[in-house]
Amino acid sequence: MKSMSLYEEKHSFLNKLSPITKMIYVVAAILIPAFAGEKMLAVGFMIFSMLLLMHSKVIRRTFPILGVSGFVVLTVLIIQGLFRAGNETVVLDMGPVAFYKEGLLFALGIAINVFNIILCFCVLVLSTKPSDMVEELVRKGFSPRIGYVFTSLFQLIPQMTDRMSTITDAQKSRGMETEGSLMIRMKAFLPLISPVIMSSFIDTKERAIALEVRGFNAKNKKTFLNESTKIPVDNVIIIILVVGIVCSIGWRIMTWLR
Amino acid sequence: MKGKNNNSPWSLQFNTAALVLIPAAVGINYIGKLFAGVLKLPLWLDSIGTCLAACLAGPVVGAIAGAMNNLIYGLTMDPISTVYAFTQAAIGIVVGLMAYYGAMKNVKGALLTGILGGFAAVLISTPLNMIFWGGTTGNLWGDLAYAAVLSQNASTWIASTVDEIIVDVPDKIVVLLLVMGLYKNLPKSLLSLYQSNSKIESLD
Repeated sequence: MKSMSLYEEKHSFLNKLSPITKMIYVVAAILIPAFAGEKMLAVGFMIFSMLLLMHSKVIRRTFPILGVSGFVVLTVLIIQGLFRAGNETVVLDMGPVAFYKEGLLFALGIAINVFNIILCFCVLVLSTKPSDMVEELVRKGFSPRIGYVFTSLFQLIPQMTDRMSTITDAQKSRGMETEGSLMIRMKAFLPLISPVIMSSFIDTKERAIALEVRGFNAKNKKTFLNESTKIPVDNVIIIILVVGIVCSIGWRIMTWLR
Repeated sequence: MKGKNNNSPWSLQFNTAALVLIPAAVGINYIGKLFAGVLKLPLWLDSIGTCLAACLAGPVVGAIAGAMNNLIYGLTMDPISTVYAFTQAAIGIVVGLMAYYGAMKNVKGALLTGILGGFAAVLISTPLNMIFWGGTTGNLWGDLAYAAVLSQNASTWIASTVDEIIVDVPDKIVVLLLVMGLYKNLPKSLLSLYQSNSKIESLD
């Protein structure tokens, strides 16, 4: 069964950090440039995220993720470059259409923002096991019931995707067409998805019973299988990041008051 | 069955079955999106699970399922989609409320729910699109409309709203019609499982 998570254990510095630290890093990398209103800060965070990812030897895995949004950024670039209101300075004249400087700069700003968010998320996602993330949150007071729901997703979705290929094969062997005109493909959708839906609902019934007999609803304080893995560096990083966020908010308020 | 509930649809007391419905719903969203991709359909169809969960277990479960759906996308495929968790949560709430007041019993009600859900999505997605993408959605037809509206010298907000309406509303209508068909055909024994706020006589 294929795992959904992008996490990879490389025994790197990022792997050793507490998930909480990395989550705060994500928040800081998004909020600080937003509050300070300075694009160069976002670029700085981008480069820093990239260095971290390179240091953990997972930079290769960010490329497909960047590719997904890269395509959308490309359409933004084209549309804003051609049509943005306030476009005046022509940069590239291509016969009937022309790219304008203002629109392209605006699109560049969007691209920086988007890639910054993606890279800082990658720092968290590529170096943290989802279950560790949830466990750490539960330790901090997050509902353990919702925490269970979240972790179980990473097991359930690959299971359902497996079932999906079984059902596709079964329906095809009964002669169902999955290719052809739009109408044929539309008609194929319901017979494909309804067996998955029905069987997963029936599964929920069994899963609910299985959980309840194991004391899922017990009100007692929950204990943890793994020990908290916080290292001293974590606290230092958290303090720096929080100070950074507070400073950027302070800066924003100052500029407003002026 | 619905409408006779004594408690409010906002009850946070859900039973275990309603809770494990959430991962199933997210899984269904995921599969719906995959199938739509495999069959090359021009719709997303990625909120079937959210809407079904909302119909079965109410707006709160629907909202959690929707939000978690996008968190999972964010953690496994596309980090930006995390922010659209709010959109999916809104869809869950709208559909859950409509189902609670009995709209999901016929085609007319489902159509209305689809339109309302679609516009709830537009209402929340448009500002997010403006912040993160300058107004476009990355969907071919929507973005063509965006460019067309923009070239008429309209504001980016109007262009972005039109873009989002084209992308979201037809999709939500199809999804809700599908969901109604599925919801009406679910076995009764399954339906009663998730109704944690319907009145139960206790023997002890």
